[in-house]
Amino acid sequence: MSEKILLIDDEQDFLSVMSERMEARNIQVSTASSAKEGLEKVAAGSFDAVILDLMMPEMDGIETLRILKEKNPDLAVILLTGHATIKQGIEAMKLGALDLMEKPADLSLLAEKIKEAHVKKMIIIEKKNEEMIKEILATKGW
Amino acid sequence: MPTPYDSIGQSGLQFFGKVSASISHELKNVLAIINENAGLLEDLTFAAQRGSAIDPERLNRTAQNFLKQIHRADEILKNMSRFAHSVDQFNLQVNLHELAGLVANLAGRPAAMRKVILEMAVPQEPATLTTNPFLLENLIWLCLDFAIAATSAGGTLSLTPERTDSGICLHIAGIDKLAEAFPGQMPEGYDDISAALGASLVPDFSKNALTLRLA
Repeated sequence: MSEKILLIDDEQDFLSVMSERMEARNIQVSTASSAKEGLEKVAAGSFDAVILDLMMPEMDGIETLRILKEKNPDLAVILLTGHATIKQGIEAMKLGALDLMEKPADLSLLAEKIKEAHVKKMIIIEKKNEEMIKEILATKGW
Repeated sequence: MPTPYDSIGQSGLQFFGKVSASISHELKNVLAIINENAGLLEDLTFAAQRGSAIDPERLNRTAQNFLKQIHRADEILKNMSRFAHSVDQFNLQVNLHELAGLVANLAGRPAAMRKVILEMAVPQEPATLTTNPFLLENLIWLCLDFAIAATSAGGTLSLTPERTDSGICLHIAGIDKLAEAFPGQMPEGYDDISAALGASLVPDFSKNALTLRLA
């Protein structure tokens, strides 16, 4: 099963070329050009990882990350930034970001992080399924 | 002994820092797009080495993307260069339309972050004045900083320089939350710079506009 990601960035040209390159690597890509659109897509779908630009109009990446993690604590979020301050980096990590990468990003490294997120998600799903089966076995009498 | 550079002050340094940070961020975005397009060419080359045909139209689109970003970077760097040279002389005849246009370009990203559009109108007559160009840029930046914060997302701020009988002024119109924000939310440093330049800011609440009177 291929990885499924959501790219959120207000640079349309960046979204377009990045999607094309990731799709060539067998990654399923959805895009959003604003934080609001990104939050709507996350609410409607399931993603292995969200790649999020730190500086966007109206709502910045840190605020978006905060909302994403409040609603989906297990969601892997990788922040991409033109230039992050140390304070922003620390804040992102405290909020539970998987990583913070500087633009221009190394696509191989980013693809590795996405794979890592995909594996983590599969483990979480398996664990949840296991717990559910254990609970069913413990509560049902057969 | 005081030097002309003292006039730059703390607010001037902060202005320089903010503009530099904004420019470096813009250039990083440009580099990121160039980087991905270069990577795409590598991907296409790799595929071709394995026998896949390369679509000439795809190559042309990538070349157009490079040209677009090079043009964008060139504009950013031209503005940066003009801005950097504004501390070369401390008393110079300046064209307000050109100077305010430069500041509007530099403030383009902060404005875009709040979904506000900046529009520069050409004055009916050339509006020139002799002043300290860096201080005037800083003053207009602070006025725009205020105006952007006091304008709702989706709004447009129009900047119009004007030569009147009483002097040179810059009108900033479209500040829909002017009555709530003025003068309480004027940025730090505005009072000192406007005093140093002998400038004043006159609100017109009925028109959601500010007029910066300069000379």
